Amino acid sequence: MNNIFLITKREFLTQVKKKSFIILTLLAPILIIAFGAVIGLMFKANESHSVIEVVDKSGLFRDQFKSNDKLDYQFISAADEKAKVNNLKDNESLDGILILPELKNQNYDELESGSRLIVNSKIGLDTKQKIVSDISNVIKKEKIKQLGIQEVQLDDLDKSFTLKTINVSNDNKEDSDLAFGVKTGLSMILMYVTFMFIIIYGVRVMRSVLEEKNNRVVEIIISSVKPFELMMGKILGVTLVALTQFIIWITMSVIGALVLNTGFSSLQKNMPGGNEQVMNKLDIAQLATQISHSLLEMNFPLIIFVFIVFFLLGYIFYSSIYAAIGSAVDNETETQQFTLFAVLPLMLGMYGSFSLMNNPDGPLGFWLSIIPFTSPVAMIARIPFGVPAWQIALSIALLLGTTIFMIFLAGKIYRVGILMYGNKATLKELWKWIRG
Amino acid sequence: MLKAEHIKKTYNAGKKVALDDFSIHVPQGSIYGLLGPNGAGKTSFIRIINQITQADSGDIFINGEKLNPNHIRDIGYMPEERGLYKNMSVGDQILYFAELKGMSKNDALQEAKKWFEKLNIDQWWKKKLSELSKGMAQKIQFVVTVLHRPHLLILDEPFSGFDPVNANLIKDQIIDLKNNGTTIILSTHRMESVEEMCDYVALINNSKKIIDGKVFDVREKFKKNIFGVTLSEVSNDQFENFKNRYEIFNLSNENNLVSFDLKNETGQNNILLDLVNVGQVRSFDERIPSMNEVFINAVSNHS
Repeated sequence: MNNIFLITKREFLTQVKKKSFIILTLLAPILIIAFGAVIGLMFKANESHSVIEVVDKSGLFRDQFKSNDKLDYQFISAADEKAKVNNLKDNESLDGILILPELKNQNYDELESGSRLIVNSKIGLDTKQKIVSDISNVIKKEKIKQLGIQEVQLDDLDKSFTLKTINVSNDNKEDSDLAFGVKTGLSMILMYVTFMFIIIYGVRVMRSVLEEKNNRVVEIIISSVKPFELMMGKILGVTLVALTQFIIWITMSVIGALVLNTGFSSLQKNMPGGNEQVMNKLDIAQLATQISHSLLEMNFPLIIFVFIVFFLLGYIFYSSIYAAIGSAVDNETETQQFTLFAVLPLMLGMYGSFSLMNNPDGPLGFWLSIIPFTSPVAMIARIPFGVPAWQIALSIALLLGTTIFMIFLAGKIYRVGILMYGNKATLKELWKWIRG
Repeated sequence: MLKAEHIKKTYNAGKKVALDDFSIHVPQGSIYGLLGPNGAGKTSFIRIINQITQADSGDIFINGEKLNPNHIRDIGYMPEERGLYKNMSVGDQILYFAELKGMSKNDALQEAKKWFEKLNIDQWWKKKLSELSKGMAQKIQFVVTVLHRPHLLILDEPFSGFDPVNANLIKDQIIDLKNNGTTIILSTHRMESVEEMCDYVALINNSKKIIDGKVFDVREKFKKNIFGVTLSEVSNDQFENFKNRYEIFNLSNENNLVSFDLKNETGQNNILLDLVNVGQVRSFDERIPSMNEVFINAVSNHS
């Protein structure tokens, strides 16, 4: 035990002291934020503000058209039409003129064929669609009015049907759509974190094994400790490195969020708040309470417990595979053919889990979260939706069993592999090592 | 000190035999040479002592006690494939390896200080290994091996990769350790180091021990009663007469000095009595085979 501790300590300290670790840990969140900002900016940069002047000869549209921050309607009189159209070419502050003819005898087809949008440059698809839908809405309302239907009646017709879902296994609580969305989000985040963690740090274990093999230091170590202790110490050391990185990142994002949050609210206070903005703010606040409410409603102790158990077991399961791979080859380029075995089942679990969002309790979800190769990601993806206790217990038992078995197998390969040099191991040979 | 009895070790489910009925006895405080061509089974045996692998059958005893994990702390091992961590400071590595051998940090620090002074390398403590030259790294490697004061030191090809200066320095340290009571097993295929350093030797070929014993005895065993003679003022008649009675080869005649080898089993005094009549005896010695000759002889006889 003491040896495992010493190895863990060394592994942890050397990795954490590396310059690349420090730089990556500090820079990664900044890079991610910068990346997000760049993407946001790119979208923003492509947004345009269009000014459209409207000649409304029918008089139907004047009160119905609403400008927004992307499209500005300005109504002009029919008398100005000719001059405006002639000058449009040279007018840089104007993007187009919409001409809507008079409506005669309720002939809307004629209205349609008589309508024109004259533009002086290319107009965005978004803008055009907005104009079209605005016109259609007005016409629809007019047509409905002719049919003699009240707007209240119409609203009633459009009212969507809300189906209350009662989950008998889950304390009779219903899932609102929002709650379902929150759960999906949480489930995706947890699953993705697990997936990335296993891949990134599993490869780190593999590299560390390879490094010792290439340095030829490994035989000296295993003359003092058992190969199994060395392998376990390594896996645990890398786990601690990962946790350290996590804690630093979480702390950084919490601090960042706090700073941004105060900045955001002071910004809002200083702004001359229009009616709309207050509305938005209310909405956001309401949404936030709803989200936090649905978050709080979940069985967090269970989710955290399941997350930690599957996360750790899954990580140990896969990193023992990675350790075995690292021991069986001589350099990193040779690892590729084997890492496929470690990555493929995880990918299967993850992509399977995407479809699992539609039906968390379906057979796919069930099997993915029971079979040990995929269960570390799939069970974590399922858990926010609630999983029967017996399935969790079965899955943990299976995963624990296979993890121990995998450590045992990896230990066998590792023991032989680390002392083999200049020998490209084949699957057949690996099998021999396991038996031997 | 160490006794190995009927060790058998196979790989690939018995298809490849590494050691077959291998027994040796290493006396306390001696330097014991394991000699053999590459692939003879030396490293397999050493790995069994270090408990890196296990023998299929047979027993090893250290001071009468069957080999067990407690012995690991008492053994210092320098494998043939050796190296250190490149990105770790010299001091950190030395402490790490010492702690893995069960030493306390303070104890390791004190012992390390002694060695660093002895080898005159105390200014390297904080350097990273990647900043040191290969020769420097070799010294560190040796310190790592002996720091925990092992009673049994196992060195696999200890001089391979060492430059002559460092090799000599390490050789002196090894002899020093032996004089202080450390038992040393030295595996090599370099015969000259065996002749210089070893008290005992075992020859291994094709997984079997061919011969073992004191280096002196082994060489004696392989001597073929060949004597080298140099004469001056040779009387030709007498020499012709002498040649008829003895088997003579490698004859040369330079500056009136006649040299030749002869093979005879009658004993050196009888030969000398005859030689006195042929001319003035400048030199006369028995050709004792070098370890190299013993080795080649033994291996070719064996196979």
